[in-house]
Amino acid sequence: MIVAERKPFDEILEMLKPFKRVLVLGCGGCVTVCLTGGEKQAEELASQLRLASRRSNLGLEVDYESISRQCDEEFIENLQHDPNKYDAVLSIACGVGVQFMGERFPEVEFLPGLNTTFYGANTAPGLWEEYCHGCGDCVLALTGGICPIARCSKNLMNGPCGGTNNGKCEVSPDMDCSWHLIYERLKQTGKLNQMRKIQPPRDWRKDRGAGVRRMSIEQMIEQESEV
Amino acid sequence: MRNFDVTSEDVASFSNTMELMEREWAPCRHACPVHADVRTYIELAAQGRWKESIDVIRRHLPFAAVCGQICHHPCEEDCRRNDVDEPIAIREVKRFVAEYVGKNATVDRPDIQDKAKVAVIGAGPAGMSAALEMAKLGYRPTVFEKFPLAGGIPATAIPKYRMPQNVVQIDIDWILAHGIELQTNIQIGKDKSIDSLQNERFEAILIATGLAKSRMLPIPGSEHKHVLPVMEFLTNLAFEKEVNIGEDVLVIGGGNVACDAARSAVRLGAERVRMMCLETQEEMPAWKWEISQAKEESVSIITRRGPVEVVAEDGRIKQVKARKVTRVFDENQQFNPQYDDSDVTGIKCDTVILAIGQKADYGFVKGSSLKLDCRGRLEFNPATHQTNVENIFACGEIVTPPGSVVEACANGQRAAKAIDMYLSGKKIEIDDSLPPAIDKIAADTAEKVIKTERVHIPTEKPEIRIEFFDEFEHTLNSEAAACEARRCMNCGAGAEVLLDKCAACLTCLRVCPFDIPKVTDVARIDSALCQSCGICIAECPANAIIARGWDKDELKARTAEILHSLGTDRKIAAFICGYRASTAAWRGEEIDVPTVAQVYLPSLARLSVADVLKAFENGADVVVVVTVGEDNERYPQAAKRIDRRVQEVRRMLVEIGMDGQCLKMIRVAGDTDSIRTALVQAAQELEKIVS
Repeated sequence: MIVAERKPFDEILEMLKPFKRVLVLGCGGCVTVCLTGGEKQAEELASQLRLASRRSNLGLEVDYESISRQCDEEFIENLQHDPNKYDAVLSIACGVGVQFMGERFPEVEFLPGLNTTFYGANTAPGLWEEYCHGCGDCVLALTGGICPIARCSKNLMNGPCGGTNNGKCEVSPDMDCSWHLIYERLKQTGKLNQMRKIQPPRDWRKDRGAGVRRMSIEQMIEQESEV
Repeated sequence: MRNFDVTSEDVASFSNTMELMEREWAPCRHACPVHADVRTYIELAAQGRWKESIDVIRRHLPFAAVCGQICHHPCEEDCRRNDVDEPIAIREVKRFVAEYVGKNATVDRPDIQDKAKVAVIGAGPAGMSAALEMAKLGYRPTVFEKFPLAGGIPATAIPKYRMPQNVVQIDIDWILAHGIELQTNIQIGKDKSIDSLQNERFEAILIATGLAKSRMLPIPGSEHKHVLPVMEFLTNLAFEKEVNIGEDVLVIGGGNVACDAARSAVRLGAERVRMMCLETQEEMPAWKWEISQAKEESVSIITRRGPVEVVAEDGRIKQVKARKVTRVFDENQQFNPQYDDSDVTGIKCDTVILAIGQKADYGFVKGSSLKLDCRGRLEFNPATHQTNVENIFACGEIVTPPGSVVEACANGQRAAKAIDMYLSGKKIEIDDSLPPAIDKIAADTAEKVIKTERVHIPTEKPEIRIEFFDEFEHTLNSEAAACEARRCMNCGAGAEVLLDKCAACLTCLRVCPFDIPKVTDVARIDSALCQSCGICIAECPANAIIARGWDKDELKARTAEILHSLGTDRKIAAFICGYRASTAAWRGEEIDVPTVAQVYLPSLARLSVADVLKAFENGADVVVVVTVGEDNERYPQAAKRIDRRVQEVRRMLVEIGMDGQCLKMIRVAGDTDSIRTALVQAAQELEKIVS
């Protein structure tokens, strides 16, 4: 799932300064699950904004609501508040939701309340960790199921760099060296010789190298969209 | 696991979430013959909202005060707390509420009562309940009663130590206030006939005369003047007429009425009082607490003996000959006693009270077209309550098996429905179906519920109470009643997941102290297991969980209202755990700190981050969270959750440039004094901040 965290409050307040009527819009998808962008967070942030506005005489009027997902057209009709009646919508969806909704309501300023950080998993209650980078060319079959793109600070493909240090990454002592993990995992499964194979340079066009990526499922497409 | 899917759309269509509670009932309500909304009135009592509590009780149970004293309380038998520790003392809480509010309960008499005149014969629980329902529907009921006062058996036969007259009168006065005419000292069949009622343009007549006569025993010697029929004996006592009993009393019978007679005989000063019955003690029909109290009062019980002869000499009873009983019930559990005639013994006594059952007095048939069936009973259709005359109906014990007051009320209410259908020209079809009851609590959930002790009822010692006919089990005081009510587990008022909002994030599952939520496609919270603590409601990131009967914004609105009612410039909102607070404090009558808006909650488990922020928005300069701490909390883990939420709000306050200390958490013992001290201290600190 997509993990996103709340922007610093001051940054949000600065963004909203030019506006008067603001809707805080939560998303019922990934950001609800990672406890940063659900209706509850929208309600609390709206309350915080009103309190801050009162303290600094900003004159903000803030409402809130949440819809099931901000990245699908059909959920828009469930909106109880019409975004067009607001000067700005502070979306606390991931960056996808902010943009997608912004496209649907071109008259309204859609602003991000969250920083979208990574694709991750919930490793323990209250903790999320990055597992995937969305590189477009999955190598997990070669690397013992541990991703060197997402989980190596340098995205290395042929073993660790000189900064590996007793299983930790030189970037931070509480960050595992993914190549160390890969080594241990391959050893455990008797596939250590896999590490001897030199991996050719990656085709980065599948990542971001060739611009915006698209995907289509042919049988669901109702008509050729204009490109 | 029984599930009713709920969405936000459903909730929006309800006037309030109480409607969700109609989908399935708590077992207490289900078991109650009139289906009184026990959970709701107990919760109101827990908050000291006595008047609202009695109004909820009386919505279904007109004889609230009477039942507070003598109900056989099937609600308690089915209380889910039985599987945790001990059931809530529902009857005792009800008794306090009914007697405390007394005649101040709300009377909701319709503005217009211009529908048909209806005659009700018999002012007992069944007749009066029916008359009340008719009056509420706009009919004009008149109740005819042969005795000088209304109330039936509770007023005229149940001994005063169990049923004081002033208590019966509370109910009677309240019922009559709904526009019911009562005519006492009129016995239908003697002073007036049913035919004459028909001529007086009563469009329907309801017979609710009960079982007023004692059943007699056709054995030699039973016509002796010291063989007393129990109803006469008890009625004479009730009306304080002279009652002559000897020194050595034998009460024949093993039911509740027999216990009443025996215990009354003890109070009248008999040297020895014994009961004799066909049954073993386990088989006796009397309530077990009646038997044990009788025994405490030195009544002994001779079981498995059936009387064959009352032997008298020189005009005085000497003994009752009784044979051994070999069985009482046959294989089909039918009453079918068998005896061993070779085993006959003489039981010494000088007075016999016959308490082997009651029977109907069919005197009212005289002067009517009513018919009795081949067994000498009133012809009656239980489905429609009609007799052989279409506008004459019957209800209560004259047509049902003997039961308790609350059962008579239920039957009277049912008859009123039938009469209403008849008088409205409809086919009489009564829907007796009920919503399902919530299942018993699961053993592993019960284990996690914090154990509490059932209230002790202040009771006079046997050696004291047998000297008087005064009541010996005293009414609880307000604090004991509220404390007992707070043991209620709020069955059926628990969490409900709005399926359209749930993101299956697992938060509810992770925070529930009872491990109730299950998450598959979405979270599901089994109402049969949920303990209504509200922790998940406050934590759910999607605001996807609501509680039945608890509207999400109610707390915010209440807080705002109290804050706005303060006349001060500076204000403190105090969210107070009311679990251990006095009811006077709950009502705002005990602690008065002018700058503090006191908001009491059954537990702070439901207090959300948004609730606290909203209090600041609504004008609080400081918010104080008054908690009772881990050891005194109503729910496990609640203290930890509250603590974390307070930290979270502080962080948010700091983010917006406020002082995190504007939110205080004060841990107190929970009693009124400790709460007062905390609030006074908070108010003083506010003064310092201002100056």
